[in-house]
Amino acid sequence: MAAHAGAEHHGPPIANQSSRVDSRVLGMFLFIASEIMLFGAFFTAYFFVRVANGIEWPPEGLHLPVFVAGVNTCILVTSSFTVHWALQSIKRDNRVGMQAGLVLTLALGFVFLLTQAREYSRVGFAPSDGAFGTIFYGLTGLHGAHVFVGLMLLTFATIRAFRGHYSAAHHHGVEIPGIYWHFVDVMWIVVYTTIYIL
Amino acid sequence: MQNPFRSEAEAFRFLIRTIVYFAVIAVAALISTWLGVAVFVVATSGIVWWLFFRVA
Repeated sequence: MAAHAGAEHHGPPIANQSSRVDSRVLGMFLFIASEIMLFGAFFTAYFFVRVANGIEWPPEGLHLPVFVAGVNTCILVTSSFTVHWALQSIKRDNRVGMQAGLVLTLALGFVFLLTQAREYSRVGFAPSDGAFGTIFYGLTGLHGAHVFVGLMLLTFATIRAFRGHYSAAHHHGVEIPGIYWHFVDVMWIVVYTTIYIL
Repeated sequence: MQNPFRSEAEAFRFLIRTIVYFAVIAVAALISTWLGVAVFVVATSGIVWWLFFRVA
């Protein structure tokens, strides 16, 4: 009777795992793949406007804040180092390191968004000011939205970290937002280089 | 070819490589537009070769 009770399974049936990749990581892969397609569509519009249309970039009289955006790039890249530090810490069962890494990443992410909002308020043109404005706000705004989503994921991870949810054996809740955060950083490097520098 | 986002550590390495790739192209392009194009072609060809022929 006891053996029978032990074999009894309560709750929904266990999901079939047909892939070598963990289902949570696979979900993040598919999400990132869809994001690459979304950014690809925006970059196609950007290159079309800039190359095929042959307009000056940026149009005469308009200046992009290259230096401020460069500092913002450094802030975002630093946040990738801190999230990497957070994950490496919890892999060694260092909870304080993980918490500090996550809090620093959150702080740097918020600073990035605030700096971008300030840049928008002072840049001197609006999305309705021609194709240039539309593409600039479209691409940087799309990226900013992704930073916001990443910050939400990291906020949940940080709350759980302070509640003692992670360990050296179980840290998916930090790893998956970390993968997403690095992806967001990679996209920013592409956006910054193509829009501000080249 | 392996997925560069299969783990956080791999994604972090991919980010570093992306920074180096774009930094080299940007510096070359700032010196001369055609040098930037040349560096882009050479760097991209090198990466494609490494991804599809060397790692396979």
